[in-house]
Amino acid sequence: MTSYLDAIVPSRSEHLWRYTPWSRVHPGNVDTVPEVDSAIVNSEDLKLNTVAFESLSTTDIARIFLNEIMHETIVVSCDDGEGHVHIHAGGHAVATHLHLSCSTASNIVIHLHGEPDWFGLALTGDINANARLSVGIINELSSDSVMVRVDDWNVHRDASFELATLSMGGHRNKSDIRSTLLGTNASLKQFIAVHGHGTRHDDHHIEIHHQQPHTNSHLLLNAVCDDRSHSIGTGSLTIDDIAQHTDAGQVFRNLLLSPSSRAEAIPELEVLANEVAASHGAASAPINQEQLHYLMSRGLSKDEATSMIVEGFLVDSFTDLDSDHVREAMQTRLTVHLECQLIG
Amino acid sequence: MTEVLLHVENLHVSVADTPIIQGISLEIKRGEIHAIMGRNGSGKSTLANVIMGHPAYEVTSGTIHYKGQNIDDMEVFERARAGMFLSFQYPASIPGVQVGTFLRKSVASVREEAPSPREFRQELNEAMKQLDMDRSFLSRYVNDGFSGGEKKRLEILQMLLLQPDLALLDETDSGLDIDALRIVADGINAVAKETGCLIITHYQRLLDLVKPNVVHVLIDGKIVESGGPELAIKLEKEGYDWADALV
Repeated sequence: MTSYLDAIVPSRSEHLWRYTPWSRVHPGNVDTVPEVDSAIVNSEDLKLNTVAFESLSTTDIARIFLNEIMHETIVVSCDDGEGHVHIHAGGHAVATHLHLSCSTASNIVIHLHGEPDWFGLALTGDINANARLSVGIINELSSDSVMVRVDDWNVHRDASFELATLSMGGHRNKSDIRSTLLGTNASLKQFIAVHGHGTRHDDHHIEIHHQQPHTNSHLLLNAVCDDRSHSIGTGSLTIDDIAQHTDAGQVFRNLLLSPSSRAEAIPELEVLANEVAASHGAASAPINQEQLHYLMSRGLSKDEATSMIVEGFLVDSFTDLDSDHVREAMQTRLTVHLECQLIG
Repeated sequence: MTEVLLHVENLHVSVADTPIIQGISLEIKRGEIHAIMGRNGSGKSTLANVIMGHPAYEVTSGTIHYKGQNIDDMEVFERARAGMFLSFQYPASIPGVQVGTFLRKSVASVREEAPSPREFRQELNEAMKQLDMDRSFLSRYVNDGFSGGEKKRLEILQMLLLQPDLALLDETDSGLDIDALRIVADGINAVAKETGCLIITHYQRLLDLVKPNVVHVLIDGKIVESGGPELAIKLEKEGYDWADALV
C-alpha cells in the first residue's frame, strides 16, 4: 500500500483537483500526517458496530491520506432499517469511516454536525443483489470547517441505490463520490443540493462507472450560489464496452444570486459501448424573472419571492427520491436551514 | 357613487423601444366587468401586464390611477397588496414550491391580517370545492407539469383566496373544456359583484357565462370601439376587418 508521505501531491491539471487543490483541504501542511481523533457517531434507530479500520481503495491522495489517519470503521446495520445516524465532529482534526452493507431494503439519513477545524469522512457501501438502499447525507458542519469526503459504493445485480446529499455547512468542502454498477440491472440515482452563501467553497466530483449491461444511473446536482460562494460540480461517467443497454444521465444546474458568486459545472462522458443512452447537461443562470414577477404579483416582496424560488430549486433536487423517509428528512432540514438564514 | 377602481388615461407603452399601446383610456368601477377583445398582438396582454407593473414594459406617456392614486412608482407586490390581481395567460411554474405553501404565503402577504391556519384551511376547502379541485393539487409544485386547464383553475383559485378589488383576467378561458369553462366562470361571477374585472378574451363563449357591462375592441394598441355585450357577438360573427376602418 502506498504511504502518504511517498505519494505525489496531484497537480491542478488533474480533473479531480483542478478547482480545489489538495493543499487547500489538507488539515495542515501537505507534508505532514497529523494526529486525528474519531468523531462521535450514534443512532437511536440503527445498530452500529465499531471494527478495526477497513482500508479504502488507494487510488488517489485523499484516500491514501485517510487510510493513514483513520483508526476504526463503523458498520451500520441497515437491513430492513429506517433511521438516522448522527456524526458529531469537534476539535482540530476528526475523521470517520462509515460502512453500510445492505441486502434487503433500508432508508438511512446521516447527519454531520459539529465545529471541527477539519473533518475527513469516508463512506463505503455494498448494495447487494436485489437490495434497495436509500441514503441521505446532510452536512450541517460549522461555517468554519473544512471537509474532505470520499465515497465508494458498489451496486450489485438487480440492486437499486439512492444517494442524496444536502450540502449547507462547512467553509470549504471537497467531495469525491464514486459509484460502480457491478451487476446487470443495477440502478443508481444520485441527488445533490448545494446552498452556497458567504464565502463557501463546495466542490463535488462524482464518478459513476457502468461495468455491466442493462444498468442505469441518474445524477442531478442543483447549486444555489449567493454572496461570494463558489460551487463546483464535475462529473465523470464511464460506460464500459460490455455495458450495453445502459441508460445514464447527468444534469448540473446552478442558480447564481450574486454577481460575485461562481459556479462550474463540468459533466464528462466516456462511452465505450454503442447500444446506450447517455446524456448530460449543464446550465448556470440568475433567477428567472418571470418566476419572480409571478410571485411578486401575489404580494411577495422581491426578497420573499427570491427565497421561495431558491427553496423550491433546492427542494426540487430531491423530488425524485423514491424513499419518503429520506426525501422528507432532506426537505425538512433544508427548509429549516433557509428559514434560519432568512431570520438571520 | 360607485368607486372608480382603475382609471387609465391616454396610456402609451413600449417594449424594447417598440410602441405596443398607443393611447388607451379606460375607467373601471367596482362591480363592473369590462371585456377587451382584439387580434393576437393587438396589445391586450401588454395592457394587463403594464397595469400590474411588469418591469419589462415601459410607460412612455399617460397615467394609471388605482383607487385614485397614481401607481407609476408602485412595485408589483405593492400593487398586489393594494388589491390588484392578474390571472396570467401563461403562469410561471415554480418547481419545488408546493401549491399549498404558495397559497398560504400569498394570502398572508396580501391580507393585512393573515388568517389562522384553521380559517385558511376552511377558506381553501370551500374555494377548491367551488372550482371542483382535488386536494392533491396542494402538494403539487406550482404549475409544474400542469395542463392548461389546471393552470387556469389555479389562477382562479388564487383570485378567490386573495379577494382582489381589481381582477385582470388574461385569456383565462383558453385551454378550458366546456365544463371547466363553466366552473371558472362561476368563480369569476362569485367575485365580480364586489370587484372590478377586466377580462381579456378571444371568444364570446366566456362572455355568455360572465356578462360584461362594457366590451372594448383593441386594434393596434388603441381602443377603437366600446359598447355593450352585443359588440362581442358582432365580433364573433364578423371578425375584426370592420374595426380596421376605425383606426
